[in-house]
Amino acid sequence: MVSVAEDVAIVAFEQTPSHAHFNDSEPAMIMPCVNSVIEQVGMDRHDIDFTIAGSCDYLSGMPFAFVMNIDAVGAWPPVYESHVEMDGAWALFEGFVRLQSGDIDTVLVSGSGKCSPGSYREGFSLQTDPYVHAPIGLDPRTQAGFQAQALIAAGKATERDFAEVVARSHANAKDNPYAQLSGDLSVDELLAEPYVQQPLRRLDCPPTSDGAAAMIIARADKARELCDNPVWIRAIDHRIDSHHPTLRDLTDSPSVRIAADRVGLHDGPVDIAELTVTYSPEEIILRDALGLNGETSVNPSGGPLTGSPFMAVGLTRVIELARAIRNGDGGRGVAHASSGPALQQNLLCVLEGDG
Amino acid sequence: MPQLHDVDYTLEYPYTRTTGPIIGPFLTGLRDGRILGQRCGDRVLCPPMEFDPDTFATLESDLVEVGPGGEVVNWTWVAEPSAKHPFDRPFGFAFIKLDGADTALVHAVDTGGDPEAMSTGMRVRAQFRDERHGSVADVYFVPEADAADQVIEPGEEPVTITEHLIGLRINEPLYPHRARFAQGLLDGKIIGQRSPVTGKVYVPGRGYDNMSRVLMSESDEVEVSDVGTVVAFTELNPVQYYGQTETEPYVRCSILFDGTDQPVIGIDIRDMTVDEMRVGMRMRCIWRDPEERSVEDIDNRYGNIPETVYARFEPTGEPDIPADELKEHSW
Repeated sequence: MVSVAEDVAIVAFEQTPSHAHFNDSEPAMIMPCVNSVIEQVGMDRHDIDFTIAGSCDYLSGMPFAFVMNIDAVGAWPPVYESHVEMDGAWALFEGFVRLQSGDIDTVLVSGSGKCSPGSYREGFSLQTDPYVHAPIGLDPRTQAGFQAQALIAAGKATERDFAEVVARSHANAKDNPYAQLSGDLSVDELLAEPYVQQPLRRLDCPPTSDGAAAMIIARADKARELCDNPVWIRAIDHRIDSHHPTLRDLTDSPSVRIAADRVGLHDGPVDIAELTVTYSPEEIILRDALGLNGETSVNPSGGPLTGSPFMAVGLTRVIELARAIRNGDGGRGVAHASSGPALQQNLLCVLEGDG
Repeated sequence: MPQLHDVDYTLEYPYTRTTGPIIGPFLTGLRDGRILGQRCGDRVLCPPMEFDPDTFATLESDLVEVGPGGEVVNWTWVAEPSAKHPFDRPFGFAFIKLDGADTALVHAVDTGGDPEAMSTGMRVRAQFRDERHGSVADVYFVPEADAADQVIEPGEEPVTITEHLIGLRINEPLYPHRARFAQGLLDGKIIGQRSPVTGKVYVPGRGYDNMSRVLMSESDEVEVSDVGTVVAFTELNPVQYYGQTETEPYVRCSILFDGTDQPVIGIDIRDMTVDEMRVGMRMRCIWRDPEERSVEDIDNRYGNIPETVYARFEPTGEPDIPADELKEHSW
């Protein structure tokens, strides 16, 4: 298991609802989240030591869009600041690592994305190999289709299993005010829907979403000073599989297995798992690779199938888990973020309450 | 009368990449109607790779022809093709293990739109497009029974560069504050936003004050003067990059309109030379006739006061503002 030099806790978090279309700029979407977390801890903006954001210029449709996003985090007079062209969960990772140096106390983390103005299928096909995959537009939904078909062919899952993931996610989202989709769905009715990406149907895939999330993390002493109920980040790890899908066993996730081992996932109870299930078959792979059993509540928020603002959705999993722990729904859990097609990259973050 | 419109544009980038010792011959082969795999120990990798995927050891170029027939080992049906896909009608994407290869290539299978024709284990065969550019998109696959015999004329030079024009289409309404700003220009007015915290006036407003981190709305909007002061200028000599439409040098300046705190940048001047421009010079907007104004160049990301709303900017003849007084606004 990874040793942690400095204990780090989440002291404040905020997210926007998952919007089908947010009709204003990305900074205008992020700014209220940032203001909220600063207000929660009662800090002066310029007393925050380090600021880091995750977003995607291809998604924003503008070169250097991430620079414009700095408007939202309050960067004048200048602040110590960085950016990852990744989901905000990876910004959290960098913030956590930065705190391990022990010379600073607080980090403001954010993640944001607007999928609605463009085509995420076209934009994210550019994440793939530029010689053999991107020129044929190999998009994430297609790769999710391959993964689903591989599960079926291996006898590890059926289309009914996928539909059950969808129905459970939508039902869980009924209590989540940030969810974009929710409700009671019948598995049989889901299975009667047409395919959009055989063997996947529309609700096996995420909705088009716009949204943002922000968080403040702090070293132990500062965390206790800033809030009464810090949620501790016990471990965090990020692993990747090949970007060539044909070289992978798509029915498994070796990178998740390694990361789960590194974060010591089963060194304690796993009460809650907030997983980046962007396509329904991914939940089946993740449950298996994480070694989850019936004692773990999986995606009580509803997860990305009920609201999926790319570049914020992974950080939102960490927030949903932190909120559940603060609410006393569990004492310890794991948040998972994913990047790249078909669970190619995976990040795990173990959180624990202050009890 | 001119009207507002939704934002609809395609952001394009031409990417040019060198191909290297293994991908280069592979793409050359596709242009010439052959599919090549790379030997890796006892195996043949297709698509070829520059490294052993298990050990990551570098592989020397050692290519061997594979296919053109192969077997589908995984597939998914694309009911709604994207603009970037090889076909504009429904088709299958498949993992294809070409005859003679040990790994699979991801590619498109055209069954004439019939998903029932797809299955794991089906035989397919490569077909080459009439126009080939040394790209993986030069080839596609069909069920073996549907394949036609082709005679392919090889090209001359080896493929050492691959060009990939990417395009991201953006389509959305104008944000409310952008719509009000654009409507103002159509009405011959410049609309700014006054910060409720500092009182500073920004043109165009962004919907927020980034200094104080507060959102701003219609109630914070003010009409500002169309007379102002040049705070910066330069002569642009158009470099002929992809998408460039300008050919001749012209002047671009920033103008601080009276009563505002942020200059409007990117105002183009066609009827004055750079020698005639001065920081501190007072200028007035001469609007186009209302029916000739257009805000098509204004979207949610770009566009301040475009040439499509003004005829020219004209010196007022007032004394210059001392440059020292403008230092705060020199941008």
